[in-house]
Amino acid sequence: MRRLLATVALCTAPLYAAAQVEVVSAQPDSVSVTIYRDLFALVTETRTIDLPAEPVTLAFDGVVETLLPASAVISALDRGLEERNYDYDQLAPASLLRKSIGRTVVITRTLPGSGKVTQTRAVIESANDDGVMLRTTDGLEALSCSGTPEGLTFEEIPDGLQPKPRLSIRLAAGQPGKRTIKLSYIAQGFAWRSDYVAHLDAGGRSFDLTGWVTLRNVTQSTLKQAEVQVVAGRLNLLYEDEGGTSTIGATSDFESETELQEARQMRLEEWEEDREDRELDLEFLYGCYPFGKRSPAPAALQYQRQRMYGRFPDYGGGDLEEVVVTGMRASIRPPEALADYHLYRVPWPTDLNARQTKQAVFLQKTGIRSEQFYGFRVSEETLEETDEPIQPELTLGFTNSRAAGIGEPLPAGMVRAFMSEAEGDIFIGEALLDDKPVGVPIELALAGAMDLALEVSVDEDAAKESDEEFVDVELRVSNAKGRPVTVEVRQQLPEDIAIRVERANHRTGRKFGDYVWRLKVPANSVESLTYRLREAEVE
Amino acid sequence: MRRYTGWLVGLSSAGLVSVNVLAAGGEDKQLSLTIYNKDLALVEHVRELDVPAGKQRIEFAGVSAQIVPETVSFLAPSLELIEQNFDYDLLTPAKLMEKAVGGRVQIVRINPATGAETTELAQVLSTEGGTILRIGSRIEVLREDDLPTRVIFDKVPENLRAQPTLSVLVNAAKPVKETARLTYLTRGLTWASDYVVVFDEPKGQAAIQGWITLRNTSGSTFTNARAQLVAGDVNLVGSEEQWWSMWQQRRSTNQRAVGTESTGRQRLGDYYIYPINQATTIANNQSKQVSFIDASGVKAGKGYEATFWGFSSSDEPQSAEVRVRFSNSKAAGLGEQLPSGVVRVYTRDSRGQPQFIGEDHIGHTSAGSELALKIGDAFDVTIQPTLENTTRINKRTYQYMMSYTVRNARAEPVSVTIRQDTLWRVNSVEAESIKGRRTDTDSFAWEVPVAANGETTLRFTLRQGW
Repeated sequence: MRRLLATVALCTAPLYAAAQVEVVSAQPDSVSVTIYRDLFALVTETRTIDLPAEPVTLAFDGVVETLLPASAVISALDRGLEERNYDYDQLAPASLLRKSIGRTVVITRTLPGSGKVTQTRAVIESANDDGVMLRTTDGLEALSCSGTPEGLTFEEIPDGLQPKPRLSIRLAAGQPGKRTIKLSYIAQGFAWRSDYVAHLDAGGRSFDLTGWVTLRNVTQSTLKQAEVQVVAGRLNLLYEDEGGTSTIGATSDFESETELQEARQMRLEEWEEDREDRELDLEFLYGCYPFGKRSPAPAALQYQRQRMYGRFPDYGGGDLEEVVVTGMRASIRPPEALADYHLYRVPWPTDLNARQTKQAVFLQKTGIRSEQFYGFRVSEETLEETDEPIQPELTLGFTNSRAAGIGEPLPAGMVRAFMSEAEGDIFIGEALLDDKPVGVPIELALAGAMDLALEVSVDEDAAKESDEEFVDVELRVSNAKGRPVTVEVRQQLPEDIAIRVERANHRTGRKFGDYVWRLKVPANSVESLTYRLREAEVE
Repeated sequence: MRRYTGWLVGLSSAGLVSVNVLAAGGEDKQLSLTIYNKDLALVEHVRELDVPAGKQRIEFAGVSAQIVPETVSFLAPSLELIEQNFDYDLLTPAKLMEKAVGGRVQIVRINPATGAETTELAQVLSTEGGTILRIGSRIEVLREDDLPTRVIFDKVPENLRAQPTLSVLVNAAKPVKETARLTYLTRGLTWASDYVVVFDEPKGQAAIQGWITLRNTSGSTFTNARAQLVAGDVNLVGSEEQWWSMWQQRRSTNQRAVGTESTGRQRLGDYYIYPINQATTIANNQSKQVSFIDASGVKAGKGYEATFWGFSSSDEPQSAEVRVRFSNSKAAGLGEQLPSGVVRVYTRDSRGQPQFIGEDHIGHTSAGSELALKIGDAFDVTIQPTLENTTRINKRTYQYMMSYTVRNARAEPVSVTIRQDTLWRVNSVEAESIKGRRTDTDSFAWEVPVAANGETTLRFTLRQGW
């Protein structure tokens, strides 16, 4: 096979590839990125390549370093694909040392006091997680164990070590010439999430809602002028240890979107800690024999673990390089359907820089019809522990419909609620919203009630006098507020005991399987709810 | 015949290098790999050896630290095998100091004020928690004074090595040119199948690509190897794998009918063999992928499912599972058995660009099977369960009135399969708003049709007891 000199990779290319013609595609012409909530993105690159007629190894440089090799798909390629390789033996202090075993290096020592610099030639005898041994004409010595500043100089980079991870494919012979292909792959380290700001009116009849999308690129790659989409939906994902895409565990192991969100946040924080650790350890530590003062950790191992992810600050933004806010007006249009999810497009090409956070408004609705009430759910425990204090929760209830003023999918996120008072806006509380399609009722418990006391008492005396099994429940609501409130009391039903509610002094309804009562409690007054819970007899 | 100096050993990975007496350098005459998909591979090196008469040690430096030493077999008919060793005591500063206990090292002290060096001989007394040295008549702890001190050892003790090393001690009656075979099992070399399914819902079709992904984390590079991949569950006794495979089987409920078709693939016992056509080099820390299935126009469809265990209400509507269904039968357009792996599903967006929509794991699937892969939760198809009431019929029998409100926010009608699962031994449906069917001794299912942007409530009364 002929070697195509112009494009043959330099000394960093693996030996085995040298036998074949190699064409390097240095960078994509354009990039499209679809970001998922689960800390990854689908990157689709358009690249122009010029192929010779003979079999060729085509190498893609400039891919995002966190790519999952198994996910790569190359389309519009009119040549037989023999195999594809992803080399991630990356050039790093640990791999450089390991691959240099048996090679000659130069140790430079700076002696304390005189500041004299000495240089000695040495052969690397061993290099692993527990330290580095060097052979000089004096004998064997461990690197960085003497307490004298020591540095190593290498003559060359050993074969097979890549300055960057590289995806390459081996193609059969075929038509020569220029063509445009698409390379797509999944890459870890991208994230997006939605957050909401709700402005409630004092009367509780309506509110305004603004939805923000926050995009994150926590990789070390910068994507210039990328088309950006985000997908709202819960995909089935497998854990990376099982060959899947998720770095937080299989989706099926999580009960709710809330749990998933917590796990994602934790993962981001872990990545951030790793990054900080690595920055502290810039001076690579080597293992030594035991001596008096310190015993360094096997840093090489740590380094391996961290290499993959690079830099991951958390959403909190304490240590962000850059936060870009695109403005307060809704800039992202309503989503289009993608299978059973929703796809939002950022309407202009944008740069996704390494370690960057971007925010944009994707939803802006005013005058949404709603109700506010104080909700409380009576469970078995409530009736057993009647002296426990009870605090109803301020709840915002609305329906996601066009008639009510929304009628758009609401991707899961934190809703932060504010109320306008004479002095200005005050923050009243927050609640996590799950994914909400159009047409479903939504209730958000925003805050514990103030100036509203609820006492419960249980009377079993009447039951003792008869043969029947029942309890009489009384709930007293004291409203110390200067305005009337609505209180909703729900009686939870256990699954495997047949319970009936009787003799309620307010109109009894049903809600989500529970019994429910609505009490209007006037300003500065007390209202009472009584009912009987009876275990149903065998029919 | 060539003699290698000690420090060259590391250069040849998985190569054959002799030390004690000698052996041949050079390359494998043949290198074969049989790779299983359970982090296990069988490696066979065929080498020409030039062996002089007498007892000698042949070393194979650079074998991976993950070799399973008890599986090593060395076959050379005219050599007498005396013993076989796998030394994995790595040369590290701490190990070297430990081995130096009782022996002598040189201590080079540097005066922090002047930089002047003083060299002394020291005897190593102990390395427990700190290195204790006897220098002349003094006893000191190394570097307790925090002054720069270099320690110089004169040689590497036997059995401490830069890399794990496999060696055999052999005896040759007379000088001989021999073709030797070395075989062993190793970890760190494994393969998995990965599938890419591009699902075209309007056409009811899918394009399916299968990739074999080889991963090498063994620490060695395998040069110009003939590789074959074995699909099947090799039984690994008492291992984590065994537990793992049981767990996988329990967990995966996406194989709906087991196929009975045979294909043209090469078999070995109960396993399928996927040979890689040409010699290939598998570098350390490399993922290598080879295509093995490429089919388009495979019949495929989509369905919504929700399974409920027990009877309870929920404030939060639950999303329906989305499943992509297809068969790997010849009639459906595939006709291939599918080794276990991860299936990633894509669909095209409004601009024709493939977008990722979810993934699922499949077990080894014989041809002709029906698969229903779970790809995700439907954002817009939800089910809200409500336990309307519970009635106690007798001591052992309860009756539940359930309603499931299925809401569809999509612009087209859908049908959702609702399954009530894991019922008690005696069970029956007393009343239902939609005709259901018994799917199992302990489960029932209902197909609930929901209009575009509409909702349908399924109600039933179910009795169960024991």
